[in-house]
Amino acid sequence: MKRQVEEFRANRSGQLLIVAALAIAVLVSSTTIYVYELSRDTNSSDRPPLNDFVLSLKQSTRNVMISSLANVSNGGSSSVLATNLNTFSQLVASLHHLGTMSLDFTPLNDSTYDSGTYLSWNTSDIGVSSAYVNFTLRVYGLEEDIDAAFAVNVTTTIAISGSYATLLSGDKQVSLTCRVYNEDEPALAKNMTFFYENSGNWIQVDASNDLFIIDQGNGTYLVSFTVNIPSDTVPVSVRGYDSRNVFVLANTTCSGT
Amino acid sequence: MSRGNRGQVRIIEAFLAVLIIFSSLAASSSLTATQNRAKRDDLSAVGLQALMKLDSDGALGRLIDEGNWSRLRDAVDLALPAGVSFNLTVYNEGIQQVNAVVVSNGGFNSQEVVFVEYACAGWGPVFHSYVIRLCLAVAA
Repeated sequence: MKRQVEEFRANRSGQLLIVAALAIAVLVSSTTIYVYELSRDTNSSDRPPLNDFVLSLKQSTRNVMISSLANVSNGGSSSVLATNLNTFSQLVASLHHLGTMSLDFTPLNDSTYDSGTYLSWNTSDIGVSSAYVNFTLRVYGLEEDIDAAFAVNVTTTIAISGSYATLLSGDKQVSLTCRVYNEDEPALAKNMTFFYENSGNWIQVDASNDLFIIDQGNGTYLVSFTVNIPSDTVPVSVRGYDSRNVFVLANTTCSGT
Repeated sequence: MSRGNRGQVRIIEAFLAVLIIFSSLAASSSLTATQNRAKRDDLSAVGLQALMKLDSDGALGRLIDEGNWSRLRDAVDLALPAGVSFNLTVYNEGIQQVNAVVVSNGGFNSQEVVFVEYACAGWGPVFHSYVIRLCLAVAA
């Protein structure tokens, strides 16, 4: 009996070797697949690189529009926006690492926007500097193609309101509230200057007018100054730059309280 | 089966066993290669996101406009995860190199180098746009 068992072992040892090899192979493969699946789950990003690139390009087109609006709002021609976007489109066409790209744009032209820009500085209490452009991005990628249409709007708004109180000296103490917005979100101003109108002349408010500004840190500025003018109302103008160098202007008329 | 043939069969069986183990190893290494590709994509995404972060408030374009390469190097170094080496080159609209000095945090010791291109526009009223080419590698 013992001899038969030994003979069986000797005859089948090669097959046992194959079964053992199969078992080892299954172990190695399953361990590798397990580790691979684990690392895939903990991957920070599953987005393909082309999607990241489209996001980055959207941000860059926004920056082009900010630069252009800063130029136009500081007295530049409204054609600057198209010129800058043309330059940027050519730059984008020179990028080849993900495939062939083309960026087309259409500045908004309607009752308010002219060549994609809109400056509204004469409306009482609110001043707006804005740019609006529609873009079409085509990427003929090495692995996939992308055809994306998006619009970018860059708008700086300043809203002011105020009143004045007559002091014992006869001077009028003007109190203003200025709110600055970027794309309808509160934003910080880089610089603001204040003017009041006296006998048809706009006079800049300075330290001699006891100018006092409280920056609330949330895009709201409380301003007070004194003026000595005979009229019953005080026309006030606020001219400011937001942190992106976009200029905006708003006028208001302060009445006595 | 004769004793002479039995030896040959053993050799064939051993060969089969080795073949099975090596084929499993080969299959595993192909999975690892796929993983390396994912790592490369991750690294390029990290590079692009770092540049986007710096460009979100116009700082990237401003530093290039100013030619402040040391601050640009520090900013990119801070924006990237620790242990990532980079080499950054800036080109103007005419694809001529703008940075006269090397903007890098050290040499590349890794064989896995990824390449990211970024179109950057400054915020200044005088418009400038640049192509940024960023080479990235995980420091050895």
